[in-house]
This record gives sequence, C-alpha cells and structure tokens, in this order.
Amino acid sequence: MSTPTRPPTTRPTPYREMEESIDLSAQLQHVPAVGGAEQELLTLNMGPHHPATHGVLRLLVTLEGEVVRDLKPIIGYVHTGIEKTAEDKSYWKVIPIVERMDYLAYYFNAMAFCGATETLLGLEVPKRAQYLRVLHLELNRIMSHLVWLGTSALDLGAISMFWYCFRERETILDIFEMSSGQRMHTRYIQVGGVIDDIPAGFEEKVRAFCAVMPERIEQYGDLLNKNEIVLRRLRNVCPLDEATLLELGVTGPLLRAAGNPWDLRKAMPYSSYEDFDFQIPVGTVGDNYDRYVVRLAEMKESVKIVEQALDGLPEGPFITEDRKVALPPRHELATSMEALIHHFKLVTEGFRVPPGEVYYPIEGPRGELGCFVRSDGSSKPARVHMRDPSFVNLQATAPMVRDAYIADLIATLAMLDPILGGIDR
Amino acid sequence: MPWNPGDDVISVQRGPRPGGAGGAYRAFGETLRGLKTTFARVLEGPITIQYPEEKVPVYPRFRGRHRLHRFEDTGLEKCVGCSLCAAACPADCIRVVAAENTPELRVSAGERYAAVYEINLSRCIFCGYCEVACPFDAITMGNDYEMSDYNRSDLIFTKEMLLAEPFDRAPLRAEGE
Repeated sequence: MSTPTRPPTTRPTPYREMEESIDLSAQLQHVPAVGGAEQELLTLNMGPHHPATHGVLRLLVTLEGEVVRDLKPIIGYVHTGIEKTAEDKSYWKVIPIVERMDYLAYYFNAMAFCGATETLLGLEVPKRAQYLRVLHLELNRIMSHLVWLGTSALDLGAISMFWYCFRERETILDIFEMSSGQRMHTRYIQVGGVIDDIPAGFEEKVRAFCAVMPERIEQYGDLLNKNEIVLRRLRNVCPLDEATLLELGVTGPLLRAAGNPWDLRKAMPYSSYEDFDFQIPVGTVGDNYDRYVVRLAEMKESVKIVEQALDGLPEGPFITEDRKVALPPRHELATSMEALIHHFKLVTEGFRVPPGEVYYPIEGPRGELGCFVRSDGSSKPARVHMRDPSFVNLQATAPMVRDAYIADLIATLAMLDPILGGIDR
Repeated sequence: MPWNPGDDVISVQRGPRPGGAGGAYRAFGETLRGLKTTFARVLEGPITIQYPEEKVPVYPRFRGRHRLHRFEDTGLEKCVGCSLCAAACPADCIRVVAAENTPELRVSAGERYAAVYEINLSRCIFCGYCEVACPFDAITMGNDYEMSDYNRSDLIFTKEMLLAEPFDRAPLRAEGE
C-alpha cells in the first residue's frame, strides 16, 4: 500500500501571487543625492497591526527619508462578508447583521437598511418613531465623534482626552442600554419604526446628558483648540481642496472642513430632519485643524437636535400598525388568533417585499452612508450593498499625505476617522 | 451647488497660526489653561468602577444570558418546542428538538416539549430576537453578562443549564436609578 503523496506545497497561493505581482520597483526611482549621501525610496509596511491605523489597516508607504512620497492603503483584513450574509436572511434578521459593519455607527447602519426597505415597501413610519430614531441617531453621532476625538488625541499624545471622551461615551452607552437593552449593536431601529417605546426615566437621563454635554465640549476645546502642540500638529497640515475631495467622492465632516456645506440631513431630509433647527459647521481650508473643529462643532449641533427631539416628541405608535410588516403587540398574542398567525408568519418567513431596487442615503458620522437593496419579491433581499463613507474617504489619504512627514500621516489618518469594520464589511 | 443651504451654515473658528510670539505665549498660557481644565476635573472625583468587586447594575431591558422558564405553580416548562426562537435567530445558534408529552412523562404545558434545547453562546450575538419571537415567554434574556469560559464546548448551554436559577452575579438596576 502506497502512502498518498501530498501535493507540493511550494506553489504560491493565489493571494501571494497577487501580492507579488504588484511591482514596487516602479516606485523606487532614483532620487538625486543630497549632500553627497545616496538616498533612495524606502517602501515600508505600516500595519495591519499598528495602533495608529485605527483598526486593521495596512498602509504601504513609500518614504524618502521621513517624507511620504506615496501611500497605498490595503484593506480586507476584517472582511466579514456581511453583505453576502444579508442575502441569506429575512429582512428583519438582516438588521442586527448590518449593524455590525461600522461598529461605531450601528444606529446609522440599521437606519439606512430600514429606510431602504421601507421605501421598497412604501411604508409610512409613525412620527413618534421618526423622532425616536433621530434622538438615537444623534446620540450615536456624538458617541462616534467622541471615540474619534479620544483616539485621535491619543495619537497626538494627549492621553487625558481619551479618558474624558470615554467618560461621556459611557453616559451615552448607558442611555442606549436603558432604551434598547444593549450598549452596542442595539437593533433598536426596526422596519416600520423602533422595537420599543422609551422607558420611564429615559427622558430625564437624556436631558441630564444634554445639560452637561455642551460644557464638556467647551472643556475639550479648552484643552485642545489653542494648544501649541495641537496647532503645530494640525494647522495647515495635509490640506486637500474641495474640488479634489468632490472628485474622490469624499463626504461628511472631511468635505465640510473644506468649505462645502453638504449635509444630507439638510439637503435631502429623511426621518423628519426638516423639523429640527440646527446648523452645518463648515471649515475653510480643509486641513487637519478644520477637520477637528468641524467635528467638535457638529457634536454641539447634535446635542441641540437631541434636545429638540425630546421637546417635540409626538404621542402615537412607535412602530407601524401594518401587521404584515411589524410584529403584533405581545399582549395580543394571548387573545387574538389573527395576531398569533401574523406573529408566526413574520418570525418564520418574514414579510415579502415587492420587487425593485432602491438606494437610501443618510448622513452618517463619517459621511454619506447609503444602503442599496434589491428585492426579487421574496422575503430575503436579493442584494444588500452599503456605500460606507469610511471606504470612500480612505482613498483621499494618499493625496492628503503626499509629501508630508510620516508623523503627519498618523495625524491625518486620525482626522480621517476610518472605521475598518465599515470599510471591509 | 444643486442645493442652497441658506443661513444654516456656520463657519468654525480657526486656531491661530502656530509659532512666533503668540506661540511662545501659548506654550505657557494655553498649557496652563489646559492644566486648569484637567485639575478642575480632579474635584469632580473619579467615576471609575472597581469592576470585579463592584459591578455595574443593568437595566431591566438588558439582554444578557438567556434563561428558560417554568410555570411557578405547576413546575412545568413553558417551552413547547415550537422552534420559533431557532427560526428567528440570525446567528443560528439555537437547536431545538421537540418530543411529544405523554401521560407518564409530562414536561411542558403544551402538547410537545423541547427534548433538546441548546444555545451555543459562542455564536450568539445577543440580539434578543429569540425573546421577541417566543409566543409563550418561555425564553427571556437574563441579566448575566459574565459568561467567559476556558472551553468553547462549555459555552453550549443545555436545557438544564438554561432552566437552572443563575447565580446572582449581575445586579439589576432599581427603579429610577
């Protein structure tokens, strides 16, 4: 009996072949010698496991001394196949899955997906549900910006900012836990409304937060705004003009920092954003300092929206009354046979969505977060695609940091605020 | 621009140019302002919690480890093995095998009962859809959030483990706290 021979293992894997096919020698041009010393370009891997890349992002940097001459972001290290998984789940089961893409903007992910599904269904969302969505979306925006501010300041060497930001973030996560039962990935937003009404005592908690937060943002400003180190690290560092940003499809605070007031909450209001009175902070030059102050100002505006949502919270149902889409109230299960049938039908098969396709963009904390859903008439989406702002914004890294110092690359990447879970999906 | 933002735009204030005489002032003045901010926070006291000894109480809606329930009066299990929780689970972590109740062996109040009920907690994403799906309130999400273990196989919770009274490990928040 002969032992089975194993196939030779020397053959490179397709991935390795692909990686080796990238010809890096083209980037290694000869650089004229300075002061008699020979200099040539050095290609260096930053990441994927580098704390300053805010996740598992690999940057292939071409350096001349300390100056970045070229940069290639390489992604795919946290690819989870969420879009594909979503095709195999009924619509309501997709919600907790898409929430896990951009893990700092879970309410936004759910909102984009639910909004797309509601558009396909032609479903009217009750006013109270819309206000509750806005309330949570804006709290989520503050939370996301707090994580950005804390980690970015940490990259610049300001460690106490990290503790301060996470202290306020903790308050917001506490509020999320109170209303939806989980601190992250809350699946609070459902197709047709929200899963549950806010509990008693919720309003006082949010009001207490809104009373404290503007003062806290002032304190962040006191610490950073005019700090000489922050100014030197951020001001006039790695600017990119509005035209280039628009060409690259960059949206969100990065575009607003360059002076373009493009905000989908104002430009194409969804979920009753037209009822709220807030302003769009814009910068002028589009350098790292503008990116920083624009986001800081956005947090203040978000606090205003949260307060207005609480003030104007209308009475009424928190989820649509359409029993073909939303689960019946629990108390009806024990008394109504019809409710029980709807419940079984919705849980096992889910609701069917008429064939068609829709793109539903919302303003996420990082920019335009759009959800494309194609339905083939069944109870599962035929295709779910997310236009994640981090993914599109990441391609602006190379034009931003070209001919800047490698230390400024770290600062720029921090101000770019990429979330790798959203980039790779 | 296809859209006119009107008065809704505010320009943010740019910081001063670094360096120079202003920079020399800021190196002290603004640093002192920052230190003032930091030291004023010291007066607010620490907000950290000494975790393993001190635990954060959870809200009533908190979704922790699952629990299966019995009727308090009869002691029969509430679960009738309908597998709706397994159908609702987005992570496919619940396994239910139903069996018929017989007059000799009566386990649940309905016709059938769950002979096997397993939750793989290493797959569970704690979305709580099982709790939403259950028409008999037989499965609920409890308060327990300390579930780490040394083996993955130990994280597959059987029916007996889910039915047992959990250790009182995670405190529940009192009304209005």
